[in-house]
Amino acid sequence: MDRTHGIIRHIRSLTPDDRKLKIMNVCGSHEHTIAFSGMRSLMPENLEIIPGPGCPVCVCPESDIIHAIDLSNRDDVILVTYGDMLRVPSVKGSIRAQGKNYKMVSSPFEAISIAHSNPDKKIVFFSIGFETTTAPTAAILETGVPDNFFVLSSHRLTPAIMEVLVKDADIGIDGFIAPGHVSAIVGADAWNVFSEKYGIPTVVAGFQADNLMLGIAEILGQLKSGKITTGNVYAGVVRPEGNLQAQKIMDKFFEVSDVNWRAIGHIPGSGLELRDEYSGRDAKKAFDLEEVKESKIPGCICGTIILGKAYPSACRLFRKACTPKTPKGPCMVSMEGACNIWFKSNLSRQDDITGAVS
Amino acid sequence: MCLAVPMKIVKKDGFSASAEADGVFMEVNLRLLDDARIGDYVLVHAGFAIEKVDEHEAEETLKMMEEIAGLNEKNEVR
Repeated sequence: MDRTHGIIRHIRSLTPDDRKLKIMNVCGSHEHTIAFSGMRSLMPENLEIIPGPGCPVCVCPESDIIHAIDLSNRDDVILVTYGDMLRVPSVKGSIRAQGKNYKMVSSPFEAISIAHSNPDKKIVFFSIGFETTTAPTAAILETGVPDNFFVLSSHRLTPAIMEVLVKDADIGIDGFIAPGHVSAIVGADAWNVFSEKYGIPTVVAGFQADNLMLGIAEILGQLKSGKITTGNVYAGVVRPEGNLQAQKIMDKFFEVSDVNWRAIGHIPGSGLELRDEYSGRDAKKAFDLEEVKESKIPGCICGTIILGKAYPSACRLFRKACTPKTPKGPCMVSMEGACNIWFKSNLSRQDDITGAVS
Repeated sequence: MCLAVPMKIVKKDGFSASAEADGVFMEVNLRLLDDARIGDYVLVHAGFAIEKVDEHEAEETLKMMEEIAGLNEKNEVR
């Protein structure tokens, strides 16, 4: 406890009196620790810790969810995906409510087993997530998959969305806490663009409250000294270059593509699709899936929350029409979604993010 | 989605390994980390070892934390 108090005192001593600072986390697990530890209530008044785009379930395009529902309703298909994806709302409902043949997995290996035990069916693995989760999907492709196995790729690239955030003057981010396990794959050096090109301190942190606060202290220290660089307080796991073996396998199967982010829109170079050589495994090509235009969820401000322009409690649906049992928007579904985390940790704020535009 | 847990590798056969944490054993694939050895602590995500845990570096971070926490106590005395 002494150590925690010491770090908090250090954070207080580094926070300026005369201006507000905004530090954003871009990882649902970070937001989880921040919310459940009560850390925000211990931070100085001039320091805001903002949840950013750290929830892949939240940003998965509605179009992909509709495709997943449609595929699961075909008699020749079993749709396989991670648990949270089954409950994400779309204009057609969720996979769980409107789908027919679907199964939940916690590892892509289970999807392969399902393919082997159902040789007369086509198995579509609805593969979503940031770099951490892309790597295992690439690894099963490297291992070799049966002919009845297809990938519906909805993978997204973390640095690409962060670059959108820094270019948006409405947000005004002073520092990034970089996601620990994405960094384990891509390496701490992947964030150099933010410190070097945009002058925004970016520090890789782990998932314990003390470690996250150490990361926050490092960002504040850099802002105070003016020496901006990429920091890493999760060096027990994250190397500067990351996991090169994983990067090589991902690069073999996936290529960067221009994709949509739910409630945010089209972002060039921010997603991953299977390379042409592996198009036979690509569900979008095998089943001729055409992009469906996104519908608007009345009252939902998930997009604004994901971009760090509003706290969940600023949404008029939050805790009222929208709860984890009755999610109206995608941010209320997953335990990595800011709305779900704020609901479950009983977080709420009277005020909103400084300069919020929602 | 990016949840990962540290586990110790107790058995290895090619890309297949068995890993243990708190008495729980799990099959772990080493396709993304084939130089992991028996006795190594690795971070496991979705059934795959994604990175080794470097105990020395982890201790350095702890030391950094203690220093920062302690540094301020010294300032207070002053």
